[in-house]
Amino acid sequence: MDEKYSVKQFIKDIGLFFKGATDFDRKSKGMLEKEASYEMDYFMLLCYADLLGLPLPLNYYTLEILPYLAEDMDNWLGRMVDRKSMWEEKGSDYDFDV
Amino acid sequence: MSKIIFFGGKGGVGKTTCSSAYAIRCASKGMKTLLVSTDPAHSISDVFEKKIGMNIIEIRKNLDGIEIDAEYESQQYINGIRGNLGKILSPIVIDEINKQLDAASVSPGSHESAMFDKMIEIINEESNRYDQIIFDTAPTGHTIRLLSLPELLGGWIETLIMKRRKAIAISQMAKRKIKDEEAIMQDPIIKILNRRKNNMEKARHIMIDEKQLNFIFVLNAEKLPIEETKKAVNALEKYDIPVNELIVNRILPIDVEGDFMKEKKEQEKHYLKEIDEIFKNKKIYKLPWCVKDVRASSIDDLAGHLTKQL
Repeated sequence: MDEKYSVKQFIKDIGLFFKGATDFDRKSKGMLEKEASYEMDYFMLLCYADLLGLPLPLNYYTLEILPYLAEDMDNWLGRMVDRKSMWEEKGSDYDFDV
Repeated sequence: MSKIIFFGGKGGVGKTTCSSAYAIRCASKGMKTLLVSTDPAHSISDVFEKKIGMNIIEIRKNLDGIEIDAEYESQQYINGIRGNLGKILSPIVIDEINKQLDAASVSPGSHESAMFDKMIEIINEESNRYDQIIFDTAPTGHTIRLLSLPELLGGWIETLIMKRRKAIAISQMAKRKIKDEEAIMQDPIIKILNRRKNNMEKARHIMIDEKQLNFIFVLNAEKLPIEETKKAVNALEKYDIPVNELIVNRILPIDVEGDFMKEKKEQEKHYLKEIDEIFKNKKIYKLPWCVKDVRASSIDDLAGHLTKQL
């Protein structure tokens, strides 16, 4: 064992061990990421609902931010149109696979 | 006195004539005046017998004019976005987005929004340079909708900003960073939305809060224009925009000949009385029906009539 291995480092490692064992970090991060992507979906819906056939008073103005959102556009449209995948998405919230 | 004056009224009552005459009168009093035509069927060029385009040009001393071309403005806007695309996106995505931009540039809402945008721009940017900005608007319904837009769109934009902020904050958390207000403000989408919101608020502030906006309605002494004016005045009061002045245009001369014209004159008297009753708390100006067409040479006569009554 390295002599520089201090008590401080030891405590940190124990922390890491529990983190890994309980899988807490992966899950919370995943949840946050999912939440963030839902929020982005809502945002896109408010901006481009007209692409799904819902009239929107703002669509002229949201064109301006299209360049920044274009990368996600295809995926988003796919998700919104394909109901089946929405159920899958919702179902995965309950974590049946763990 | 209000800096911004909108001329409204039913189609064909003579809004362009009256607003042009009013603009001449303001200019001849030494006020720096801008006459803005928002009617898609532009005719101030025809009144002044001078080509007035989508950029501000001088018509006469103290009087400048512009005819807003909604199609051109929306094209400009969309081309601007297209220019921006290349900087941010890969060519494959650009192709897809271009299709959407093409579709948007022909959608009916776009022209209205473009018109509204340009009007806001003029109000925000030119109100320091001019003493008086006069808008010759399209027929009534259109204009009232235009004025209700800041409220409607303001709410939407606010919601968008809120949603976007929330999304960024959560994804920051997911990356195990602490919430970084600076980064949120630097987000290009938030920046664009905030700029829009500020423009709209500024225009709203000038038009409604500071009471710098006045509406003058033009009507004829006939049944339908009276009814439409009544409705429009009520609608505007809902938005806290007062209508204090009316112009009754095309009044027949007193000494008309022939049964037809005499009866017409009687009817006109009846309607003039009705106008006085319905709008008794407003100032009412009366303009005669001119023999000559309204052109550069005869518009001054009308301006003279207006000056006498103001």
